[in-house]
Amino acid sequence: MAAVAIIGVMVAIARSTTGNPEAQATVTTVGYRLRRGWLWALAACAVAAFAVSLPNFPYARPSALEGRHYPVIAFQYGFEMPKTIPLNQPVVFDVTSKDVNHGFGIYAPDGKLFAQVQAMPDYVNHLALTFKVPGHYLVRCLEYCGIAHYAMQGAFDVR
Amino acid sequence: MSDNVVSRRVMWAYILTGLAVFALMFVLGVFMRAEQAAWITFDAGLFYSIMTLHGAGMIVAMALCGMGGLWYIMDREQPMNPGIAWGAFAAMVIGALCVVVAALVGHFAAGWTFLYPLPFVGATWAPWATGAFLVGIALVVVGWAAYCTQLLGCVLSKYGGLRGATGWDLVFHHDAFVASGRPEPPPQAFAALVVAVDGLFAVAGGMPAGIASLAHFVDPSVAIDPLWIKNLTYEFGHTFANLTIYMAIAYVYVALPRYANREWHTSPVLAIAWWGTLLFVATAYFHHLYMDFAQPNGLQYVGEIASYLAAFPPAVVTIFGGALLVYRSKMRWSLASIFLYAGLVGWLVGGVGALLDATVPINVSLHNTLWVPAHFHTYLLQGVFLFVLGWVFAMLEARSAIVTPLVVRWIAGLGIFGGAALLLLGWYVAGSQGVPRRYAIQPAPGPEISSWATIGALILAVGLLVTLAEALRLARAVREVRA
Ligand SMILES: [Cu+2]
Repeated sequence: MAAVAIIGVMVAIARSTTGNPEAQATVTTVGYRLRRGWLWALAACAVAAFAVSLPNFPYARPSALEGRHYPVIAFQYGFEMPKTIPLNQPVVFDVTSKDVNHGFGIYAPDGKLFAQVQAMPDYVNHLALTFKVPGHYLVRCLEYCGIAHYAMQGAFDVR
Repeated sequence: MSDNVVSRRVMWAYILTGLAVFALMFVLGVFMRAEQAAWITFDAGLFYSIMTLHGAGMIVAMALCGMGGLWYIMDREQPMNPGIAWGAFAAMVIGALCVVVAALVGHFAAGWTFLYPLPFVGATWAPWATGAFLVGIALVVVGWAAYCTQLLGCVLSKYGGLRGATGWDLVFHHDAFVASGRPEPPPQAFAALVVAVDGLFAVAGGMPAGIASLAHFVDPSVAIDPLWIKNLTYEFGHTFANLTIYMAIAYVYVALPRYANREWHTSPVLAIAWWGTLLFVATAYFHHLYMDFAQPNGLQYVGEIASYLAAFPPAVVTIFGGALLVYRSKMRWSLASIFLYAGLVGWLVGGVGALLDATVPINVSLHNTLWVPAHFHTYLLQGVFLFVLGWVFAMLEARSAIVTPLVVRWIAGLGIFGGAALLLLGWYVAGSQGVPRRYAIQPAPGPEISSWATIGALILAVGLLVTLAEALRLARAVREVRA
């Protein structure tokens, strides 16, 4: 939608060249005033977007790490992980890798990408989640890890 | 006069080599999309060798295309030693050839990111291929470093050191500066300064990563911290790739005013905008590590803020300035000016896609999905590449005095913009559905969308061929004019 709006405005500007030309000085006087408005509008959008995004950052605060922990070990090409995860309870995946960088991408039963975190050797990434929808969740690798990357999968059930 | 011939030769060597590499990588790209669409099949090893080559090759191609013209443009401001430019060119071309050999002969397939320890663990390729790839990348970095150093020297000596080149007095002592009669750096000089400084900053990250990798290659007992090298890899990769558009924008600064019959001059606002770019291009790369929860939290905030702020200079100054330059002007529309102007549109659209992805909570559902190639292909293919085409045609049109007929413009335009729109839309749609990137075989709805995207790529190819034919026609006319 934003793309259509941008293209629309830019095409309109391009089409303005078919009409009566105006001196550059005339155009810039108005243009610079417009630019100031555009700057403030963009700045307002950026501040608002940052403010809205901030509480939704996925990095677990220490208090959120109190849920039950489940180890996840990624390897070329699969995941060692529990088969079932409890419903409506805070859980923490402790995600690491045996060999190279992998991604731990959780796909909900409806096929949407629900959550993800990188699986990295020598490090443990804590992914705190609460599952509110029961069902079969698919795990896909979301970091290129070698030639069977596309086939690297896991799964668990939420009950 | 003879100097002009030499600097033109440098420029065309870079640009034509860049375009040739682009063409090869484009063909490989179409093969990948066709494979993902299940139109053709080849094994995953080959797919990932091609993917590695396509990624590394395209960035080098776009860099070469931007470097040549920027060198030529700045050489006119202050003559530079062509020997250094040729040396940098040779290093980059030999480096690129090493990468080609590593990928196609050696089946190296660790991705352009070769995220440690991937090139060494579970490799399906020979160790020499890893070595050839690392040496190839190192040569590219060496060539790039030489180029940036020369460019920096040019800008600093011409405009009176860092103070003059950054436009410090223009901003803070404006009246005194104007009264002194000192020339202000033209807009393209700001691009050159930022490319040189941030380019060297990228090298400062890439070199330790490359040396550490080579050390591990020689002696596997050398251990590397995976998070440390991941930061450096993206610091180099993101910055280098991002700078391709800041090189190519020099083409717009120089050529678009000629078509609009107006002037694009330096203002304090433009100088400040480029200071912002200098800072934010160098710090935005943290957004590549949003999903690394082990990364210090503060850097994630820096990543989001810098990514947002990086959008301001182009959106408020350069692209807005370009639109203002064109608005109600006596614009001469030709292939060159259409490409230059359309590139601004592509940059803006790609920027919106990038901003969404740079927002951490949204990144959770877009990171390493096809949304990522969607947005960077938008500003490489519909930004950088169009600026380059615009520049090439601006040179050809000026010297051949030929204006492309409307019919040809429509065919080229529909092919390039229409085809690319379909191609790009495929990635955006699939990415928003969570289809992962870098999958030789994609989960649904990937393959179906890939079919549409492949059709888009083929339409784009037709547009590009028509454009190539037109370029050759103009080039022949240039030669006749000269003879
Ligand atoms: Cu993987």
